[in-house]
Amino acid sequence: MRARAAGAWLVLLVLLGAGAGAQERPAVVVTPGSVQTFRAAVQTFRDTSAVPKPGRAEEFRGWVEASLAFSDVLEPLAHAAFLGPETTVSLADDDVVCSDWSQIGADALVQGELRVDTEFAVEVRVWDTTRCVPLVRKRYRQPASADPRIIARRIADDVVEGFIGTPGVAATEITFVSNRKGNPEIYVMGADGSDVRQATANGSINVFPSWSPDGASIVYTSYRHQDRPLLYLSTRGRGRPGRLLRSLGGDFAEYRGVFAPDGKSLAVVMSAQDHASEIYRVSPEGRNLRPLSRSRAIDVAPAWSPDGKRLAFVSDRSGAPQIYLMDADGANQRRLTFQGVYNTHPAWSPDGKWIAYETRIGGQFDIWLTDPEGTFQVPLVQNPRSDESPTWAPNSRKIAFSSVRRGQADIYVIDVNGENLRRITRSAGDDTSPSWGPFSR
Amino acid sequence: MREVAVRLDEAHRREFKRFLAGSAGLHGLAFLVLALAPVVPSMSPPAAIPVRLVAAPAVPRPPAAPARPKPPKPPKPVPKVLPAEPVLPKPAAAPVPETPPPPVAQDYEDVLDSLRSELGETAPEAPPPSPVETAAVGVAQGVTVSPEVAAWLKNARIHVRRSWVVPPAFEMQTLVAEIRVKLGASGEVQGTPVVVSRSGNPWYDENVVRSIEKASPLPAPPEAGEWTFLFYSDRDS
Repeated sequence: MRARAAGAWLVLLVLLGAGAGAQERPAVVVTPGSVQTFRAAVQTFRDTSAVPKPGRAEEFRGWVEASLAFSDVLEPLAHAAFLGPETTVSLADDDVVCSDWSQIGADALVQGELRVDTEFAVEVRVWDTTRCVPLVRKRYRQPASADPRIIARRIADDVVEGFIGTPGVAATEITFVSNRKGNPEIYVMGADGSDVRQATANGSINVFPSWSPDGASIVYTSYRHQDRPLLYLSTRGRGRPGRLLRSLGGDFAEYRGVFAPDGKSLAVVMSAQDHASEIYRVSPEGRNLRPLSRSRAIDVAPAWSPDGKRLAFVSDRSGAPQIYLMDADGANQRRLTFQGVYNTHPAWSPDGKWIAYETRIGGQFDIWLTDPEGTFQVPLVQNPRSDESPTWAPNSRKIAFSSVRRGQADIYVIDVNGENLRRITRSAGDDTSPSWGPFSR
Repeated sequence: MREVAVRLDEAHRREFKRFLAGSAGLHGLAFLVLALAPVVPSMSPPAAIPVRLVAAPAVPRPPAAPARPKPPKPPKPVPKVLPAEPVLPKPAAAPVPETPPPPVAQDYEDVLDSLRSELGETAPEAPPPSPVETAAVGVAQGVTVSPEVAAWLKNARIHVRRSWVVPPAFEMQTLVAEIRVKLGASGEVQGTPVVVSRSGNPWYDENVVRSIEKASPLPAPPEAGEWTFLFYSDRDS
């Protein structure tokens, strides 16, 4: 007993000594180097269906890898480099040989099983190969008739979240306007341009789609009733589709609506008969209508700050369109942009740090960034042909915009550091006015 | 790059020049974007549920109004009409400027440090035993640092940052984590490193521990035992 106590004291003394030693030693200070992406080895998921379909699991792995690559947080490793099994042997089996994966430079090992009967069911396990601990374990299922890529994107976003705490944006969606079938209608697609669906088909003019914060609805402007601009809702949630703000009657032309971040009100660009357009605030039911911008000039293009306390908007009160800021009650209006004679279409980043906007240079528009204090103006997208309508991904890492750089208007995505420009629409018509939705859940 | 920075006051101009030197100009600015931004709160999505948008019921058009081509007319107050930009003819060989190969990210300081270490030189601005170096690594005044220790501090730093993956998401705000690592005589990490001062972002702290384990073995330390590592997410720290 006494010997044991003495031993414990000795251990304590040694620990104290070691602690004191570490205290006196100078610290190694480490700052970021140039490595920005983790590397992921994605196994082919084991197909446990009663009747496995050849090639299905390989195809599914390709979708997971493509969605991972879209995150810019993890990049997939070439399969030829694998030392461990290329196909998941079993998820019940806990003895993954982490060194097989860390040796080839993989930070993550993505394993899985998929099964198709009446459902498409996937179980995934993600390993941190360096520390040899499971990082993510998750099941997914949906009707067998649904697009399996939906699950592939969710998996990729969850792997990203396991490493950085913020999901990827592969499973998010973008709504936009396209005249690919003649007239401008509202469409929805995946953030990588896949799975394009038509949200309106009324044969009229439909413009300015914008998501509700829960991602369940899109507010847009349509001319389908007596060729007058009015706001409508397209929804897949509990909300009622159809005309918004019906209670306002026919007094106003409603040019554009944008949901506040809490979803409880809308900033709406409206004009009464023979008046210039103003920005109003109103509940989605059309109650508590309040004018915000209050000037004789034309005020348009409201963009909420992510905390809902401020709005950026465009006004020509100085003689030419410039970007202004105001509080959500219309107070403290001040001009934000002074550089350039024509600045419009502000979009506030979800992290609140930046406002993307269009600025006219020569006869066309480029996309620039400014901070909400107006201290910096930084070019993001420059091209001899117009780049317009910037909209932020929910992780504030990417911006989608429309551009006529190939002749017709297409939608492109670019990282905020100016890298990874990708064209994501490929229709014969003009694709414009993108609005990026929230994180999928 | 002509009108890159407008109305920068003197401090910002200096800051901008530093970015230019550290990386390609635009990258540097973008890193600033990220360095200033907070981390978006995390969410865990449930199992995927496929959903489809339902088109709002179309209001029937008056029969007297046949589908006629009309210019999209987002109304007069809107300063810019949506697709009304003149559509330029598509040239036969329009250059497609998408997906330029991303320039290899060169970390100037890192490269310089490696070159110096290959040549057996020390950084001119930080002669090993000087108080400047001591201050730079956050050591209390009065602690003497031998040239041997100073050289190891630098080599360990270079070694660890090579295995430290820092996605831009971590650079959106300044995060600092302090961890204590037990190193063997030949530099191997013994046991599990302990986070003694958390950054506030658990994923960042996890990642820091991961990077130390991935870096094992480190360059052999002057003495085996516990060493402290400070990980700054800010490139300029």
